[in-house]
Amino acid sequence: MEAHLAATGPLASLQNQFPASSFSLLAVVLLLPALGAFVNGVFGKRLGKKGVRLMALSAIGGSFLASLLTFLMLPRGEAAEEGARLTWNAWHWFSITGRMQQSIPIDVSFAVDGLNATMMLVVTGVGFLIHLYSSEYMKKDESYHRFFSYLNLFCFSMLVLIMADNLALLFVGWEGVGMCSYLLIGFWFGENKNATAGRKAFIVNRIGDFGLLVAMSMLVYYLGTLRFSGIEVGASNLLAPVKIWPIGNLSADTLPTWIAAVIIPKQPVMVYASTLVGLAVFLGCAGKSAQIPLYIWLPDAMAGPTPVSALIHAATMVTAGVYLVARMSAVFLLSPAAMATVAVVGAATALFAASIGLFQRDLKKVLAYSTVSQLGFMFIGVGVGAFASGFFHVFTHAFFKACLFLGAGSVIHAMHARIHDTDRSQDMRNMGGLGKYLPITRATFLISCLAIAGVPPLAGFWSKDEILWKAFSNEITGPRGVANLTPWAWPTWLGPAIYWVGIVAATMTAFYMFRAYFLTFHGEFRGWTIVAGWKDPRAGHHHDDEHHDEEEKAIEGPTPHESPLAMTIPLMVLAAFAAFAGFLNAELIHVAPLGHLLEPVFKATGATIHEREGAKGMEMMMLVPGLLAFVVGGGAAAYVYLKSNGAQEKSFAKSFPRLYQLIYEKWRIDELYEATVIGMVDALADIFQMADTWIVDGVIAKLSSAIVGAAGTVLRAFQTGKVQAYSASMVIGLAGIGWFLVRPHAVTSIDDTKLRQTGEVVVSASPGFGYSYKWEGPGIVAATDFSAAREIKIPLQPGDKKEVVLQVRNAFNGVDKQTITVSRPGKKGAGVAPGNAPPAAEPPPEGKIVIPGDQLPALIRGHQ
Amino acid sequence: MTSIPLEYFLIVAAALFLVGTVGFLLRRNLLVLLMSIELMLNSVNLTLVAYNRVHTDSHTGQIFTFFVIAIAAAEAAVGLAIVLAFFRVRKSVRSDEADLLRN
Repeated sequence: MEAHLAATGPLASLQNQFPASSFSLLAVVLLLPALGAFVNGVFGKRLGKKGVRLMALSAIGGSFLASLLTFLMLPRGEAAEEGARLTWNAWHWFSITGRMQQSIPIDVSFAVDGLNATMMLVVTGVGFLIHLYSSEYMKKDESYHRFFSYLNLFCFSMLVLIMADNLALLFVGWEGVGMCSYLLIGFWFGENKNATAGRKAFIVNRIGDFGLLVAMSMLVYYLGTLRFSGIEVGASNLLAPVKIWPIGNLSADTLPTWIAAVIIPKQPVMVYASTLVGLAVFLGCAGKSAQIPLYIWLPDAMAGPTPVSALIHAATMVTAGVYLVARMSAVFLLSPAAMATVAVVGAATALFAASIGLFQRDLKKVLAYSTVSQLGFMFIGVGVGAFASGFFHVFTHAFFKACLFLGAGSVIHAMHARIHDTDRSQDMRNMGGLGKYLPITRATFLISCLAIAGVPPLAGFWSKDEILWKAFSNEITGPRGVANLTPWAWPTWLGPAIYWVGIVAATMTAFYMFRAYFLTFHGEFRGWTIVAGWKDPRAGHHHDDEHHDEEEKAIEGPTPHESPLAMTIPLMVLAAFAAFAGFLNAELIHVAPLGHLLEPVFKATGATIHEREGAKGMEMMMLVPGLLAFVVGGGAAAYVYLKSNGAQEKSFAKSFPRLYQLIYEKWRIDELYEATVIGMVDALADIFQMADTWIVDGVIAKLSSAIVGAAGTVLRAFQTGKVQAYSASMVIGLAGIGWFLVRPHAVTSIDDTKLRQTGEVVVSASPGFGYSYKWEGPGIVAATDFSAAREIKIPLQPGDKKEVVLQVRNAFNGVDKQTITVSRPGKKGAGVAPGNAPPAAEPPPEGKIVIPGDQLPALIRGHQ
Repeated sequence: MTSIPLEYFLIVAAALFLVGTVGFLLRRNLLVLLMSIELMLNSVNLTLVAYNRVHTDSHTGQIFTFFVIAIAAAEAAVGLAIVLAFFRVRKSVRSDEADLLRN
């Protein structure tokens, strides 16, 4: 019925143009940003800033419009419930062979359903707003075209990631966004700090990618497919038990007893393959989405330009991990243990990152830890089986976090009027009271703060509350035990524990967000003394650190100004979405169009996820702690930073200086990694470096250079540089070849492959120019003269031994002669005692080759 | 009228080729070297034409000779240009002085 309705109207003609099974409109979505990246990257310098801006904005804008059309043309109604999607197979990429010797095609193909259509809208929509914002924010940058080329390339990679219909293609996009992230974090690579941050992000992500690769191999092994639809259908094949310890054929017999007693358990440790696949996928997601223990790159990634932080490190790329877990929901549902890992890591990250955010002084750092923390919330959602809710938080978070980052960018933009140093212009101790100079920024920032803190009815309230409620109420039973292996089940306390951790994290979130808000926009301005009409005495120069010392003193500066329209419009649009996007999935009041859209995607959820018995009817009651979290956190922030000007923070720092310092220094996790993981890698590198200097350079390289040098010394003697010397050697060589050609050569080869069938071996002589042949021997029809017969057949009975004489005559009447002896061994036991090795062949006399028949095959094969 | 036997041509060609080879190997004047090369090429031409006299069913030998003459002309042009250029550098046309790459 609904499908019918959709087919009428203006969309109908488009639907004929793009049938669901070959939906090539996706090519437009993809190729526009790719084209933008190419044009700006190659011709950007010649286009000028206006041209670059037009190209980048129209590319991403067109992509957004095409995504919108795609979204409108999604299959609806019954078709959607049966899992219909818009698919487009671009080309066949390659094939691999599965464990059943079946061919597994890996295609460059795309499939769009409710889940990734929504993601496409977010990526292109928020992407467009951020492009627009950047066109103003980056105005003074010399590498304007490079920036937009990267930004478009990022959008292209991200779209490949979310539209791919198989894991292999997703991995292409996954690596693509990783690369763009690296390029953009280190965009101002002139400063070492930025380049290091880019490298760190890339390397930490690589660790996660390893997990994803392992997951792909396991899926190919167990399911024989990498397509998401195939994984969904065949997921139950992952319920195969896998022995993970003792590894390989390690057993008690091969080890000393005392070691075996410690490390070999009585029963081997078995897990389901689904758990292994789930954990490996999650390792990849933890890398990309900045979860414990791989979150460390994200805060450092703030070294990139602020719009980059908004687009990549808040709204889109970092949510790829959540998207992937949601996409692979069929696998996770088969493994309660993997889901528990996801949820617990998510909860731990949410709490841990929020605690670091409490006392950060850098505005962008606060937002960065807030992002890590919110990503933790998303993983709680997908970890407890509320895939739609987790994904909904991705959706709302994209709006309010992008708005917060862009707001921070607007503030930094204003600070740059006088303070040019990156760190100092982002330090909240230099801000304060900016609300009256930047009214739009302040208003949008406040809305987003309220949204992230979970104030009803803003977007964050609906999504965060939904996640926490699902964490509290969901009961994950897992699949029925098969293959004599009972699946691990969630203990009943785990869900509520995650819920309460989430509540604490939400309280901290409210506190640090409002701390940032009050420190930035309220109180007295602390950056510089405002002098109306102040002019920069060094007008026209860009930020550098030459006059750093001067800035340390109290300085004068102009009135901070609101950012231009191109920057405030995205802020307002995003703030509007941050306020109202929640109603797309407000399950509390039963308005959930997004939920309905996603239902068919996660239809497998119903089988193993249920509402806990004890949680029925508590939905409204469990809202209260969530609301209290905002009241307590926000109220505390208002009391401390609005009323008493941060006095409590200072007294806390005074009474617990080491704890305060520890939190400010991010619990010193980077230092911990430095001492352990990086230290080990460094030690390993040192060992290799020693091996390189002493073994490779010291022995191998010296030795080979000595050999080459000696050969060179000998050969140099012939390199006279005299034309005649060279031509003389040429003449000598030619004369040698000529002599060889003039002489006849009797060379034979023996073919005994037919010996068993016909009782004959075929002896043939090598051909030559003007050759004629004469064969003599027993059983050969006597040939009286030379003839063209190049080969003869010699019949051989078992035990026979025959001698054949070949004469070859060439055009100059030279004759060469060769005697060949062929033999065939007798029946077993006839002549040779059993068990004895056959007697070694006698060395053949000059000009006479003796080849025993039974060695012939080996000899011939050895020759080839 | 009896024709000259094939062997006579071959002997003359072999003699010419030998003169060319020995000249090329022993002389040092680049111009003489070029001439030696021409001698060798022409001895080959003579052989080809002589064989063509025996195998009259096709004219491959004669056609090939034309190719050799054309190539020889080109080779002479390039060779003389090299000799000229070399003379400008070294003020000499002796082949054993053409050893710049060696030293």
